Amino acid sequence: MGVGSRRGLVGLGIGLALADSSVVTLALPDILRRFDVEIPTVAWVLTSYNLVLALAAVPAAYAARRHPTVAFAVGTLVFAGASLVCGLAPSFALLVGGRCVQAVGGALLVCAALDLLTELEGTDARAVRTWAAAGVLGAALGPAIGGILTETLGWESIFLAQVPLALATLVAVRRLPARPVPEPPGRPDLSANLALLLVSGALTAALFLLVLLLVDGWRVAPAAAGLIVTVMPLAAIAMSSQANRVGGSAVRAAAGAILVAGGLCALGVLPGSGWGWTLVPQLLLGAGLGLALWALTERALAGRSPQAVHGGWTIAARHAGVVVGLLLLTPIFTTALDRNEDRALRAGAAAVLDSDIPPLDKLAVAQDVLAAVRAADGEVPDVRGAFDDKPDEPAYATLEERLVSELDRAVTAAFSRPFLLAAGLALLALVPIALSRRQVSV
Amino acid sequence: MRIAPLLIAIVVGAALVGAYVALGGTSYEPSPVADPCVARPERPTDASGERIELVLLAAADETACTLGVSREELVLALRSVDELEVLARSEGRSRDELEDALRDGLECAVDEAEEKGLIGGRTATALGFAAERLPLGLLLSALRGASSFLDY
Repeated sequence: MGVGSRRGLVGLGIGLALADSSVVTLALPDILRRFDVEIPTVAWVLTSYNLVLALAAVPAAYAARRHPTVAFAVGTLVFAGASLVCGLAPSFALLVGGRCVQAVGGALLVCAALDLLTELEGTDARAVRTWAAAGVLGAALGPAIGGILTETLGWESIFLAQVPLALATLVAVRRLPARPVPEPPGRPDLSANLALLLVSGALTAALFLLVLLLVDGWRVAPAAAGLIVTVMPLAAIAMSSQANRVGGSAVRAAAGAILVAGGLCALGVLPGSGWGWTLVPQLLLGAGLGLALWALTERALAGRSPQAVHGGWTIAARHAGVVVGLLLLTPIFTTALDRNEDRALRAGAAAVLDSDIPPLDKLAVAQDVLAAVRAADGEVPDVRGAFDDKPDEPAYATLEERLVSELDRAVTAAFSRPFLLAAGLALLALVPIALSRRQVSV
Repeated sequence: MRIAPLLIAIVVGAALVGAYVALGGTSYEPSPVADPCVARPERPTDASGERIELVLLAAADETACTLGVSREELVLALRSVDELEVLARSEGRSRDELEDALRDGLECAVDEAEEKGLIGGRTATALGFAAERLPLGLLLSALRGASSFLDY
């Protein structure tokens, strides 16, 4: 097998493992219904994977530097086996347990992959570039692929599809000589890893909150939402191809963090509902992602050996950032949604009372809408159902549109504060970037 | 350190945020509800049902103003006495105060509507009787279905 094919398969393995940090985002509503669990509980399908990946990455990297080929193979087998368990899980507990095991396998294969790529690429610099690119693409494309699979084949297919793909990557390490790296690892680059943590926390908001806003807030179908959020990875790819023209890694990291903050701020002040409003902010987020994650990973790894161990630190930092993002922003978002639900109800009731529908129908419609809100149990209600048995008259149509508009306003406004806080995380990353004065060009 | 890329990033980010704010991004939220203590603009009516509705809405405004809640919150709580009591409690009001506010609000709105010639004498008498005498639960039922059985 040629070097190019091996490199592609190793990259596929990295992409699969890192896509898993966000791949089930669009599947969460289906998983919630399948296992009949609460919203904070179902979020553990995402959180558990990222938490275990963050905790396991550095120990996995130490194991991988001794026997990278074996570590990659074992990690891949564990990841594939756990994916199968997740896809067939009969209970929620087993699904979360499977996700934890998946993360351990993922940590092992991703860290080992960095040393394998050094062997395949010939230089550390090229290996880091391929490794970082595969990881960024996997993480950014995850929600889109997950959304399409969920809508076409069901959420279980996300995990089942990973099994043959993961096993296929084993061919890459067949008869591949990989030298163990004996030297003791140096200290990790704290500032670059801290900046990675903060930027990753902010990007979690970009992916997690944006798909929630599209699917649960604006009722966009999961597959369509998956396609809409591909703007981000496409912008990341486009920007990364030009990244080296931008400047040194510190400049790229800082410019990337500013663009991420700008995109998130724009999502925090959306002037309307509808996916079209998210496209330009996504372009900024993608461009920022392409600049910041690559540059920070390069800074964290540049001149440091062994690569796998420091790669492990970057994985730990990134996924700790995802966990911080999820744990910090989810409660803020749910509180804002509750508060805005009350405001939307009052605004909706005003719309009903001031409408031109017959007086006798007003209280009935208002209370049907209230019943729809209560039946939604914390999710965004479908107020159109309250109009199913109403006459096909302009007054009812106008009122229906007004109610949907008030609901859209409430949902969109509920996402505002979490997006703005996430923008704050991205701006905070400028502090460690500025503190790190080393200029590295990989 | 080259600062041009940083300046470009700042300008692009600020331009997008500025454009969204200029398009109304900071005020895109649920519409605020009107203060029930402030008189609403009068609207012309023809049908008797609409006139009754105006009386009931005026009564809701009077009551909501007394209780310190919005008219919309009050209407949403009209489903039952229990829900009304929860609403009153949340504003630190007792059941007696709630009942007084409801009856006074309706009587005041009926008097005003009769003065303006919006409703006739018989309707005003029926509504006044309901406001003064009916038990609270029955009064709520009457308010919910008022326009179905009250004749102009």
